[in-house]
Amino acid sequence: MNAYSMTGSTMDATMTADAALSVRNLSFFYGQTEALKNITLDFPKGCVTAMIGPSGCGKSTLLRVFNRMYDLYPGQRATGEVMFDGVNLLESGVDLNQLRARIGMVFQKPTPFPMSIYDNIAFGVRLHERLSRRDMDHRVEEVLTRVALWSEVRDRLRSPASGLSGGQQQRLCIARSIATKPEVLLLDEPTSALDPISTARIEELLDELKDHFTIAIVTHNMQQAARCADQVAFFYLGELIEMDSADRLFTAPRLKQTQDYITGRFG
Amino acid sequence: MSSRAAARRRTDRIATVFSIAMTGIVLLMLASILWTLISHGIRGLSWQVIVRPMGPPGSDAGLANAIVGSLIQTGVALLLATPIGLGCGIYLAEYGAGNRFASAVRFVSDVLLSAPSILIGLFVYLVLVAPTGRFSGFAGSVALAILAVPIIVRTTEDMLRLVPVSMREAGAALGATRWRVTLSLSLRAARPGVLTGILLAVARMSGETAPLLFTSLGNANWSFDLSRPMASMPLAIYQYAGAAYEDWVQLAWTGAMLVTLGVLAINIVVRFGFGRTKA
Repeated sequence: MNAYSMTGSTMDATMTADAALSVRNLSFFYGQTEALKNITLDFPKGCVTAMIGPSGCGKSTLLRVFNRMYDLYPGQRATGEVMFDGVNLLESGVDLNQLRARIGMVFQKPTPFPMSIYDNIAFGVRLHERLSRRDMDHRVEEVLTRVALWSEVRDRLRSPASGLSGGQQQRLCIARSIATKPEVLLLDEPTSALDPISTARIEELLDELKDHFTIAIVTHNMQQAARCADQVAFFYLGELIEMDSADRLFTAPRLKQTQDYITGRFG
Repeated sequence: MSSRAAARRRTDRIATVFSIAMTGIVLLMLASILWTLISHGIRGLSWQVIVRPMGPPGSDAGLANAIVGSLIQTGVALLLATPIGLGCGIYLAEYGAGNRFASAVRFVSDVLLSAPSILIGLFVYLVLVAPTGRFSGFAGSVALAILAVPIIVRTTEDMLRLVPVSMREAGAALGATRWRVTLSLSLRAARPGVLTGILLAVARMSGETAPLLFTSLGNANWSFDLSRPMASMPLAIYQYAGAAYEDWVQLAWTGAMLVTLGVLAINIVVRFGFGRTKA
């Protein structure tokens, strides 16, 4: 699908013009430690881009740059450029609350809020939109249907979300994120805390969601990356080592490092 | 080899027996206090106690004005202490990470937590009673509030810190402001614990005598005016317990029992009302 490729940080001339997120020379620091080193890559619109690599390679850090999550913590900073809708979102003038409504995030562990299933969805929507009771009901039903949770919870929308199973909670969190109608969805190992059946359901869901959103997913599960992603980026020690279409990266990686990782020789 | 094993078993048994025995002593002391209190207190229990105000010996006196006085002063103290304690606890937990000012506030609050309560009474006397030349129920409330604030600060901060970072991040990731996350997510998740802290503060206030001695002074008559001396249970007990009249001493016992049962009730509510609620 995205037949461009790149090596290290040298950019190929044929960058996709239609990128939802364009990362240019991004470096990221936790205090003095450089966690991301001069990263350049694109996240094409309507595609699933998977980021793989051993723990601590910087892939989650990269996700947290896109919604400026790192702003919550002093001592963390990013340099370089991340273009989103014509704006460098690293700039200080960016309205973070609005940015986060447009770039949603789902975390590793399901994080249901301490409120009802209905309110979990409505919470995010209310931050950005004023909806009538009817419209809100409609929105809640719409997103719950989309994550295939509606039939399971329609009779208990008013009961606490903490009563759902782990897989249901994670689907609720995805529903909550897409309820604010973001353009990009960031998924940070969304299935690593789930059993195989719940995982399969979330993967199916991703396939459906990519028609509406650009998706960036961090995963430790190589099969998952191969199954869900259009393009895969391999990170190691803060550097982008190789990026290619999922087919090629997993069947014919160009670099030995990538080969070693995907065949399980290190990581 | 086997003698070593036997020695270890023996040590283990001794330690077990020792800790059980010590637990027994603690329980025995507690039971003995409660037994003394209830066996003395229940004799004087009648409608008169909670309907009639304090009065001279031999006059069918009760404790109604002290009960009401205590409720008023504790209630006002709670109204004063809750917003301050909550606000400060929220600041320390949500905004005060790695902040020197916050560390100082936390330290001062913890010192206040263990400050002798008579000191707090004297302080309020100097600040509120001496300048106005008048003991008042309000001064009593302020003293009780000073006692309650650090308790609420401590529990609020502790409970908010138990809220997982992931929940705050999830809120922020939806585009919620920090204050919205604190109010709608963190505080909501911590609510059972925070309420517990407030109720524990109430329990603590309702038994305190020292902060009230030089502030609300006590009053033998009905008093609803916060700007005048006001009766309260601890002061009434203090006054009557040391008296030479048998019916006053009896009232003191009964009053002490009522206060204890009230505090016990609050603790039970805390334990079973909020304790089990999941965050």
